[in-house]
Amino acid sequence: MVVANRRTDKNSIMTTVPYLAGALILAIIPLFLSRYGQGLMTRFLIFALFAMSYNVVFGYAGLLSLGHAAFFGAGGYAVALLKLHYNVDLFWITAPFGLLLATFVAALFGIVALRVTGIYFLLVTFALGQMLYSLAWNVKWLSSKGMQGITGINLPDLGIPGFSLDTTSFYYMVLICFIISCILLYRLVRSPFGLALVGIREDESRMEAVGYNVWLYKYTALVISGAFAGIAGVLFAYYNFFVSPNHLGIATSFLPMVMAIMGGLGTFLGPVIGAAVFIFVETFASIFLPQRWPLILGGLFVLTIMFAREGIGVYLWKIWEKVSHRYGIVEG
Amino acid sequence: MSWFVINLLNGVSYGMVLFLIASGMSIVLGAMGITNLAHGAFYMVGAFVGWTVAVKLGATLGLGILAGGLAAGLVGLAMERGLLRHLYKQPNEQVLLTFGFVYILSNVCLWVWGGWPRMPFTAKFLTGSFEIMGRAYPKARIAIILFGLILGVGLWWLQDRTRMGAIVRAGMDDKETTMGLGINLELAFAVIFFISSFIAGAAGVIGAQLLGVRTDLGMEVLLLALIVIIVGGVGSIQGALLGGILIGVIDAFGKALFPQMAMFTMYLTMIIVLIVRPTGLLGRKI
Repeated sequence: MVVANRRTDKNSIMTTVPYLAGALILAIIPLFLSRYGQGLMTRFLIFALFAMSYNVVFGYAGLLSLGHAAFFGAGGYAVALLKLHYNVDLFWITAPFGLLLATFVAALFGIVALRVTGIYFLLVTFALGQMLYSLAWNVKWLSSKGMQGITGINLPDLGIPGFSLDTTSFYYMVLICFIISCILLYRLVRSPFGLALVGIREDESRMEAVGYNVWLYKYTALVISGAFAGIAGVLFAYYNFFVSPNHLGIATSFLPMVMAIMGGLGTFLGPVIGAAVFIFVETFASIFLPQRWPLILGGLFVLTIMFAREGIGVYLWKIWEKVSHRYGIVEG
Repeated sequence: MSWFVINLLNGVSYGMVLFLIASGMSIVLGAMGITNLAHGAFYMVGAFVGWTVAVKLGATLGLGILAGGLAAGLVGLAMERGLLRHLYKQPNEQVLLTFGFVYILSNVCLWVWGGWPRMPFTAKFLTGSFEIMGRAYPKARIAIILFGLILGVGLWWLQDRTRMGAIVRAGMDDKETTMGLGINLELAFAVIFFISSFIAGAAGVIGAQLLGVRTDLGMEVLLLALIVIIVGGVGSIQGALLGGILIGVIDAFGKALFPQMAMFTMYLTMIIVLIVRPTGLLGRKI
């Protein structure tokens, strides 16, 4: 009994240590970074959230979507349009609006895209995303004067008198959004609902036979995932000061997919690791080898697939398991 | 009336290029279950090699098409044998790997050929124009239509009338039984992938007349191929042909009638087809 208890304690230590260490590093690292470094970390957190939201649909429910940027971009455009047409900066208005718009887009997409499965789902989501992209490209109301896309976005107003955000405090704001979303998403994937999604991924017809409304589960997963992607999009608009049709289209849709696969599909923190690797390799490669960074990034995808096929996150996790066993943190 | 005919010809010639782009990708997707996002990048490699042979070295266009096709075919074959072969039935990994190749091949082309876009080119005897209903029309576009038709018939024959095609269709329907009959599907797959990449590369040289030669073609052409596959349906030459021409014509008339909604008509067609027939107009169930 005692041994068993101790073992569960140690096991939970083993799983909590990396989480806590990660959170601690994220909390104190801006103190050691320049403004540029803080911006980079902000970017990483935003894309990590985006990749995690994507992971709910792709990693857990097994739906290969190629239109996820539509939700991300909807969040971003909500912020940008409120600023452009109504000059609204207040975060407590723009964020819920972005969230709602993204959720609404996801709800519409789901109705069309979930009529099909497999590779056709990929094609349909791609088509829907590109449709929004071309709308944003062609409709004048969706752009600042004389350009494609919307500029002039500032850091958000939090409505606290005498306080305005700067790069550092914006980082902490994004971090708080990120951590809250992490907790919510974690509860989601560990809930009976999340387990049912995995069941659908593994054997859809069996889940249907046991009485699950498979369509409704997939649909709900897509809408929830769209909502979180929308939050990432809201934050991204404030980070980037600019949204363009590209943020709705395939160029952006690829990013969370690549990050999720690279980090480890269907694992909770895999997409975060994938986002970290992607953002930092992209940034450093473009600083040191500005001409060759796509080559390095592409090479990285290939190496990941050939040598760490389950994803870099899973690979790191296995190393951590080995280390913790060797030093007796957990009894093997 | 002449306005109509000119736009129709524009659409059909563009559609033929779209057909050439999409046919290989569609067959690879249908027959081998491989999502090859690098297909557009193969097109780009073919276009650059074809440009080098036909424009820089001054050889004939035919030689350029052959060289472009071979270059793309060999790159494709190397990728399939070296890497993709290990990833059958793993769509996620295929997507990441082939998307990586879009980055790699685009950057290698930028490295070798430089970033400046090349002018559209064609064979010497195809430059100039002739008259249709009182309007000048470029010969090169008519040549593209003819070339596309010939290649289309050839591919259809390969698919429906040869042993190779029969093996592919059998493999699509029931892989295990086909292998059980002693057919070497590995070899068949390698050949299909080579042919598919070859067509992409050759299309790069033929389509250079319309799309030019640039290092960002890899993504652009991938988008076009996906649209055509969605409309036409996965896995058949006929589907790619129908989808290609339909999209080409709709795009031509869309651009003529609503120039401010350039890409929108294309995407709208795609959505309508998907709502009415989710598997595409002539798609197989996969």
